[in-house]
Amino acid sequence: MSSVSRKSWTARARERAVGALPPEKLLPDSQPSYMSSWIYVFGVLTLTSLIVIIASGSILALKGPGWWHLTGIGHFFNSIHMWAVELFFFFMVIHLWGKYWMAAWRGGRARVWITGAVTFLVAVPCALSGYVSQQNFDSQWISTQAKDAMNAAGIGAFWNLMNFGQMYSYHVFLLPLAVVALVIAHVLLVRRHGIVPPFQLSGAGAGAKPTSAARRAPDSGSEGTS
Amino acid sequence: MSHEPDDSRAADSSEAVGRAGRRRERRRADEAAREWKGAYRPYDILREATIALGVVLGLALVLTILFSSPDLKPSTVQTWSRSDPVDFVTTATTELDDSSITGSYGPPYNHASDGQNIWFIHLAKWFGVSHPINTAQDFVLAPLRSITGQPALQTAVSTYEAAPANTQTTWTSAYEKALGNASAKPGGSVSVKPGNYGPLPTMMGSLLTFAQSGGLDGALLTSKQFYQTDYTKPLMFMSDGGVLVNRAMQQHLLGTQWGMMNETGSYPGQVWLWLYTFWYQIKPFSTSTNADILVLAVMGVLSLAFVLIPFIPGVRDVPRRIPVYKLIWRDHYRSAPPAGTSAGHTEEA
Amino acid sequence: MTAAIFNLNHPAHTVHWHFFSMSVANVVVIVVMLVVFAVAILAPFPGHGGGER
Repeated sequence: MSSVSRKSWTARARERAVGALPPEKLLPDSQPSYMSSWIYVFGVLTLTSLIVIIASGSILALKGPGWWHLTGIGHFFNSIHMWAVELFFFFMVIHLWGKYWMAAWRGGRARVWITGAVTFLVAVPCALSGYVSQQNFDSQWISTQAKDAMNAAGIGAFWNLMNFGQMYSYHVFLLPLAVVALVIAHVLLVRRHGIVPPFQLSGAGAGAKPTSAARRAPDSGSEGTS
Repeated sequence: MSHEPDDSRAADSSEAVGRAGRRRERRRADEAAREWKGAYRPYDILREATIALGVVLGLALVLTILFSSPDLKPSTVQTWSRSDPVDFVTTATTELDDSSITGSYGPPYNHASDGQNIWFIHLAKWFGVSHPINTAQDFVLAPLRSITGQPALQTAVSTYEAAPANTQTTWTSAYEKALGNASAKPGGSVSVKPGNYGPLPTMMGSLLTFAQSGGLDGALLTSKQFYQTDYTKPLMFMSDGGVLVNRAMQQHLLGTQWGMMNETGSYPGQVWLWLYTFWYQIKPFSTSTNADILVLAVMGVLSLAFVLIPFIPGVRDVPRRIPVYKLIWRDHYRSAPPAGTSAGHTEEA
Repeated sequence: MTAAIFNLNHPAHTVHWHFFSMSVANVVVIVVMLVVFAVAILAPFPGHGGGER
């Protein structure tokens, strides 16, 4: 490291980032041999559900909030958006069940668990802001009911479920930004720490012996996304 | 010489040694879990993500084609006043004397009550009246004042506003009582038996006509500025009456119907809210006037615990004690059998 | 409006048990989640034992 890079914020940030997440960790092409269960696909299914939510939501945003009530194609994309939300929570909860039963916070992975749990907790009000932005009877009922909980906690003083403009802003921009930021943090932490190894059974050592078809990871802990 | 103190000291000491030993073991197992030093196999992360995207897109498309999505038209003050004029007029009268739900709500709409509290914590009161609603003015008097070309109406409103408070209450109470037996006439107006209602029949008759023409929806929405996105006033007005709650009951959306989890029609709803709505069904929450803040407090604590599971003894140990992991990692355990140990003996995680 | 193959725009059927009341659709979702979780854990995963996927 030259004396220039010692003072350079850019060089220091780059070296820290690359040190924490070298390319082969960020985009690995191998995974630990113990990852042989279908439970591991639910993380990536959750992630791709979020992508479909954002994509369909973006199409709905292109034509404005009233479009889906007026045209068949608009209603079609609203349906995609709604079912993608159902799939998102469906896959996310199964992913969470799997990670709980694996005690996936072990080995310094507490922040992975925490970011995942907070993502779930932020996704719930994000969905709520969407339900009250539909501009139909469901929005009317949900907003007039849920407002009581918001008001009881003082939240109603600055987050008014019956204010469509405010709710639409939170739903289309602010809360998805928070969810995406949390998901990025969660996935990067997974890449950094790797997928949690199995519980050790007495005397089993570190796990499966390498076979001829298996390759060692380059540095340490190159694993899959789930 | 008594041996009890020595025995109990020995027991305490061996328990401390046991606890320290378990903590050491847990730390050792946790360190061992930091990094996988065993075998790897080839894996294509981008291909997996692409396949997953295709699967999710396919599922969303299939569900859309099979079931579409619900879109029940919203209620309006106009549709409400036309379909149930008696309920509309009754609600409007309760807005006039602040006896409606909104009129007696408290913060953030008015100072009629202190709002909900939990112990000494009055969050609603502390955050204050941030969205002021004067139900008499906003829902009745101001809209009536905006109607032009009706001198008799304006005289009636002036008469009401000039009357002493107890006279106003006499009129509204009598009118509300009479409306309990009122009926809607064929043209959509409301007829009550004669009584001492002051100018109310004139005022409410005009308000009803205004609402049935669609004018009141607009008046409630654009009361502050031309461009509006805040539907608080028309929604609060409608929710004080029966129009929204009757539709909600038909759609199984009431709290007592676990409605928080439900979607309109027969669509799946917000299943993830099951625990949140559960509390409202049982005592003390189901009978408490502070139910909302109490449930939020319980859910707040549980949510914090959920986030902090890695640090909660007991909860974090369940996955080790109930070995679902043996099913998840059975291939791994089969390929590296434990040497010289009995089945089911596990080290602490 | 888009015409769905199955029209779900009718009042939901509900499952009642003591104070518990849930729409059939939501019960189906929960049951499917439990089944999918169980299948995910129990179903054999191809290529175990060190082979390529």
